[in-house]
Amino acid sequence: MFSALVKKEFLLVLRDRQALMALFIMPAVFILIMSVAMRDIFSQESICFDTAIVDADRSGISKTLAENMAADQSFRFVDRDEAEFIVYIPKGYGDENRLEGPKIEIQVKGSAKSDVIELFKAKLLKEVVDLKLGIITERLSEFSDEAAAAVASVKLSTGALFDLRYNEKKKVPNATQQSVPTWIVFGMFFIIIPMSTIYINERKQHTLARLNSMNVSASLIALSKVVPYLFIAQIQVWVMIAVGMFIVPLFDTPALEINGSISGLVFLSFALSVAAVGLSSLIAVIADSTEQATTVGGISNILLGSIGGVMVPKFFMPESMQTLANISPMSWGLDGFLDIFLKGGDFFTIVNESLMLLLFGAVLLIVSMLVLDRRLSRGF
Amino acid sequence: MCIKVQNVTKRYGDINALDGLSLEIKKGRIFGLLGVNGAGKSTLLSVLNGLTAIDEGKVEVFGLDLEKEIREIRSISSIVPQNLAFYEKLTVRENLDFFSDIQQASEAHYKKAIEINDLSKLLEQEASTLSGGQKRRLNMAIGLLNDPQIIYFDEPTVGIDPKSRNDILDSIKAYKDLGITVVYTSHYMNEIEKICDDVAVIAKGKLIEQGTLAEILQSRSETLEKHFLALTSEAQDV
Repeated sequence: MFSALVKKEFLLVLRDRQALMALFIMPAVFILIMSVAMRDIFSQESICFDTAIVDADRSGISKTLAENMAADQSFRFVDRDEAEFIVYIPKGYGDENRLEGPKIEIQVKGSAKSDVIELFKAKLLKEVVDLKLGIITERLSEFSDEAAAAVASVKLSTGALFDLRYNEKKKVPNATQQSVPTWIVFGMFFIIIPMSTIYINERKQHTLARLNSMNVSASLIALSKVVPYLFIAQIQVWVMIAVGMFIVPLFDTPALEINGSISGLVFLSFALSVAAVGLSSLIAVIADSTEQATTVGGISNILLGSIGGVMVPKFFMPESMQTLANISPMSWGLDGFLDIFLKGGDFFTIVNESLMLLLFGAVLLIVSMLVLDRRLSRGF
Repeated sequence: MCIKVQNVTKRYGDINALDGLSLEIKKGRIFGLLGVNGAGKSTLLSVLNGLTAIDEGKVEVFGLDLEKEIREIRSISSIVPQNLAFYEKLTVRENLDFFSDIQQASEAHYKKAIEINDLSKLLEQEASTLSGGQKRRLNMAIGLLNDPQIIYFDEPTVGIDPKSRNDILDSIKAYKDLGITVVYTSHYMNEIEKICDDVAVIAKGKLIEQGTLAEILQSRSETLEKHFLALTSEAQDV
């Protein structure tokens, strides 16, 4: 009896093209778009400015400045109409008789962000200070080799001045590491669409009451619906991981790396799918129409997602919001995936999150069985 | 006697859907259950299938107590709801296979359900593509899979053309020929006159009249439709 119910559910969901689109195509496309779109925001590589130099001075000093900038990988020289920053070196800038010459002008494209401008100014400042230190060294050497050597020893590169060390393994994900778990979690909760559509059609057409009259209990009906969706959710997870590993890199974006335990990943995926199926099941049995179910399901998904760090990554949130995020099961799932993808977590790293997800899902499933039983007792 | 309903009351809040209802249904006959919308027909069918618990009274089906032996009662009875209670996205065969597996129906009963309802040429067709009459026949065939001793039809001819309606009525008569007791609810008096042996009229959850079709028609020397309208309007006025 149970296997017939499960088989029926599989057939129905596999013939629901719109549902399959929502479960597979939607999160896959989101992963692709968001990974590529956020590539630079999450990039840990050194920033590169599209720059053009207009040298009105044409002196040895202005040429040296241009050569030094060209040697620095932070600046990529492009045509003026493509440049985000145009560095205008005025006539008289390299006049050897004065240390204080006319100012360099930086022309900035209107769309440039203020933090990027500040970064550009800091990089250019380093080049200018290096240049001026060179001039000072040269002049000092006429009077004192010792003083000139002291000035020449001043190094302004961050590598020479600072040692940068992470206290633990690097915590901030790249765009793909952020997108894949986010859309796996979010996409999985969209199981509400096929589940509620089938559930509500069955109830409206009295198919569930008919099954009940054939000695099929409400709890067996509810349980039989869990199995196919748990299975589909596992396929969903691995399809999304494959998109992150093999499709996203085709768009010049970092590939997803699984640094942690595969068994942990499997257990976490299962626990997350139980939570998603539990919530979907409850909404499906409470709602009176598919429109109501998809609206309530959509809104609850968006709310849980925005609280739980799907819309905005948790590490961008203020501390109070990060604490609030912990009430969302999507946050538990997301944290678990990041632990595995990013921090190389083992099975035990994700046990707490997984158990919370399992408990959440199991409680909602039991409640949905009770609600279904009550609804079926109304008869035809 | 096949079914005994004794002083059954079912309340939904302040409304008595069934109000001290008593009636008896004889074995091997087609029993017509008449009543306007809201009279309590569907509630009675839900009660007889153990889907809805009663507040007072007693029900026996083939000598089995409804409260204590519901699983046994369900295994020998079947209901064909007014709605098309099957899966439109599955083929006719997949639907029959599914409901057959659920009830562990035998191959012989599976074939009999297809034959009586003339579905053999439609087996590979998706249910959503069937005509209204064909869908009704599939709905009925599912009700025959468990080889029931009693089968309940809840207005099975709603919204279909006259030809399909006649085919369905012929199928229901064929069910009786198989020895199955049929309980049939309908708004169409000519259908009741055409196929039913016994008739009961209910209104506001109460029994108004019960007897064989011949007895009822003889006693009033008028058409069943006029008689039904007179009875139910009297009940509504009370």
